[in-house]
Amino acid sequence: MIVLEHDRLEFRFPEIHREASCSIEFQRTLRIPDDGREYPLPPGLGRFPLRHLDDHAEHLSAAWQRRGGVIGPMHQAEALWINFDSSYPFAVKVATGKVCAITGNAWTDHLNRDPQDYAALPEQPWLDGYCVEKGLVRQFVAMPLGAGYTVEEQLYGAAEHGGLQIVAYPMKRERYEALAARHASIAELAETYAMPQSPGMGLAPGGRMKQDIYADPHDFDAWDQRRCSRCFVTLVNSLQWLAITGEHPPTRPPSARTYAETGLPWFDHYAGDAEAVAGADRFKGVASVVQLAKQQGEAPLPENQSAEIASIVVVGQDGTRLVRESWGA
Amino acid sequence: MTQFGPAIRERRERLRRDDRRYSVRQVATRIGIEPAYLSKIERGEVAPPSEATTVRLAKELDQDPDVLLAMAGKVSGDLQEIIRKRPKLFAELIRQLKEAPDHAVLRVVREVRDGDW
Repeated sequence: MIVLEHDRLEFRFPEIHREASCSIEFQRTLRIPDDGREYPLPPGLGRFPLRHLDDHAEHLSAAWQRRGGVIGPMHQAEALWINFDSSYPFAVKVATGKVCAITGNAWTDHLNRDPQDYAALPEQPWLDGYCVEKGLVRQFVAMPLGAGYTVEEQLYGAAEHGGLQIVAYPMKRERYEALAARHASIAELAETYAMPQSPGMGLAPGGRMKQDIYADPHDFDAWDQRRCSRCFVTLVNSLQWLAITGEHPPTRPPSARTYAETGLPWFDHYAGDAEAVAGADRFKGVASVVQLAKQQGEAPLPENQSAEIASIVVVGQDGTRLVRESWGA
Repeated sequence: MTQFGPAIRERRERLRRDDRRYSVRQVATRIGIEPAYLSKIERGEVAPPSEATTVRLAKELDQDPDVLLAMAGKVSGDLQEIIRKRPKLFAELIRQLKEAPDHAVLRVVREVRDGDW
């Protein structure tokens, strides 16, 4: 089951194991410059608000109501990253517009190992974008569905779904207990868009940043594919959000340059000698928002100036808490 | 004396073993209270702080705000508001569930509905 608590999606499988739960949240962040450079990981600036889609059904089209799930706001050209928190092992697939963020393949209702199309938790603490090369992602950036920028439009030619899709598969109970027994402690595992028929927001590839998507360290049959929970996260722009929920969305984050000039930290994750998966061939033909805008003679990204990084905090060494927070968080 | 103060102290000291930023002085500064006041709270010499301060403290110490509020003998304002809006319904629900085991309570928690996509 999935419950919504304090803007977090809590995936729970008490029928498998009392510890079989993980939480997933969407962090507001600054958009890194899309200038060809490789940046470290930007900070978390707090969670995006999420609401049950059913609570606002009267404002939504029948097609959106059929999705179920939750709804959240993003400004145009705003970025996000996904924060995973679990001590129990999970395989989590993440898609945008029903395109896998790790492989670029179309959505399937099962896990695939070759190429690996999921993040293995708890090894993977965060996911910031599309896996374009080994150790390199392109940031998730919100763009209006239908403008041609989103990954689903670039790869599959249709602005049909938008939003984010997530499915979590827990490890089988017996495999978890065997794993736990091998370790002394589990801890070691360690616009007038008020009309609902308007298309909403999708995610598109932004600037480049260093992030490994870790290869699954477990046997493929460790995952319980008979049991999973999935959620469609519908994304709407700030005006739609206000019209649908009556709430104001969070303010826009600062620009990357402004943030960098303050000297506040950027982040990297230390994971010892953990292997990373290769980048997806499918993403090789996908243009970033800035690249595509130039081709089309448009300028959809304000404040894209390069940033000089002064301070990088490496998280994950010496058992430190996996915290990526900075101002406003 | 409630368990609130000692629990806060134990949690903060545990975090301080790995990170010196969890001293009384630094934690108090980050949550906007005087260090001497936090010290008294931890020793149980004063009553637990306000709801807002307790919630900030919970966030700072990576604890569940509702659990800390309960230890302080309080119920969060948003929960009170929920009950005030539909008092009969929620009072009945809570009374019915008071002896239920955790797994049974979790079953009545509202699930995020999965649809057709």
